[in-house]
Amino acid sequence: MTLDWWGLGLQAVNVLILVWLLGRVFWRPVAGAIARRQQAAQAMLDAGKTAQEQADAALAEVKETRAGIAAERDSILVEAKASADATTKAALSDAQDRADALLAAARTAIGRDRAIARKENARRAAELSVEIAARLLGRFNTPAVQAAFRAGLVDAIAGMSAADRAALTASTADIEVVTATDMEDAERTKIEQVVKDALGGAPTLRFVTDPDLIAGLELRSAHFVLHNSWRADLENILKEVEDAA
Amino acid sequence: MNSPLDSTVLFQIGPVPITQAIVTTWAIMAVLVIGAFALTRRLDLRPTRRQAALELMVATLDTQITETTGAAPAPYRGFIGTLFLFILVANWSSLVPGIEPPTARLETDAALAVLVFGSVIWFGIRAGGVGGWLKSFAAPNPVMIPLNMLESVTRVFSMFVRLFGNVMSGVFVIGIVASLAGLLVPIPLMALDLLTGLVQAYIFAVLAMVFITSAVEDGAPTSPDTALPTTQKES
Repeated sequence: MTLDWWGLGLQAVNVLILVWLLGRVFWRPVAGAIARRQQAAQAMLDAGKTAQEQADAALAEVKETRAGIAAERDSILVEAKASADATTKAALSDAQDRADALLAAARTAIGRDRAIARKENARRAAELSVEIAARLLGRFNTPAVQAAFRAGLVDAIAGMSAADRAALTASTADIEVVTATDMEDAERTKIEQVVKDALGGAPTLRFVTDPDLIAGLELRSAHFVLHNSWRADLENILKEVEDAA
Repeated sequence: MNSPLDSTVLFQIGPVPITQAIVTTWAIMAVLVIGAFALTRRLDLRPTRRQAALELMVATLDTQITETTGAAPAPYRGFIGTLFLFILVANWSSLVPGIEPPTARLETDAALAVLVFGSVIWFGIRAGGVGGWLKSFAAPNPVMIPLNMLESVTRVFSMFVRLFGNVMSGVFVIGIVASLAGLLVPIPLMALDLLTGLVQAYIFAVLAMVFITSAVEDGAPTSPDTALPTTQKES
């Protein structure tokens, strides 16, 4: 057995050349393609990761915005509720004030009406009392009463000043002697005498009948009236009652 | 039948005899290079089935290298992969009528063994320098230096003899059977020879890788944090 050293060397060179050639045309290109695909896949993964991160950030932003919107909505609701409460309170207060004002005005009106009514009632009551009293007193128009009024007339004339009596006496017009009922002649003469004595002159007297007097004896002239009757007394009482009311 | 140990010289280039094995090797080289060039002309990010098959082959080789060495496969991919492809195609070239595999010849297998021997030195020096490579002979202790030096020769010699014996014996047996039994009888043996050729190519490439890894690891600076795991040794 012999070993061909030329053949051994040539084969070694051949294999070395083959190693070099295949390294250039096969191993490196294919490994490069794998590496490029891995890089592309990694780039896609990175892009996907970046997109995921961006999506997460956008989602977080949306959540934050949504939370902000919710908080703003709550704030607006709170403000609206507060505003509504304030408006309600103001409306209630205004309505309360108006109601109080209306109530006060109503009370005032009621009080006024009540006072007016009370006055009116008092007035009517007084008038009714006067009417009742007048009717009652009309039944007591007796000679004794007439005598009392005649004495009262004399006292009233006596209470007048001398100048007034002189002016009344000097009056040219007739002096009316008003009575509630028609007097008999004797009574008239008696009254005429008493009046003339009281006045101290000779005036012209004329008897007039006025049932409204109820009972009493009055003197009337153009410018003078001397009240002396139950009518006059009742009117005075009525006036005092009305003034007191 | 000629002796399997004799080479048929086809012609002479000066003092260099060109044997049939050398011419066949040239033909295999041409087929591999042209085929590789044709197959890798249009590589795209979207692989075709052809490109996917090529990438599967490269990825498988890278996985084997990584699992064996624990290191990045790029520095070793070209040498180990080319060894595997060349030996495989050379072994399977016996299927072509009239072609005798170059690996059935002493010179080719010896050349491959010499290349593995040289590559072990080359990668060992590149990884740890000359000192590191020389230090690898003192692993695990200086007493082993003679044995390691002897082993560095004998292990590649055993590779060379194993490959030569398997391929040559297959070719020789098929030749004998074909000469005795006729045309179709050697077919099972040829199928078995295909399997033997694949296994031998794989064994040769894996052993070359293990030897290179051993030299790289033993020659590398020792550090508890960076120490590589112990790889398998030839048994």
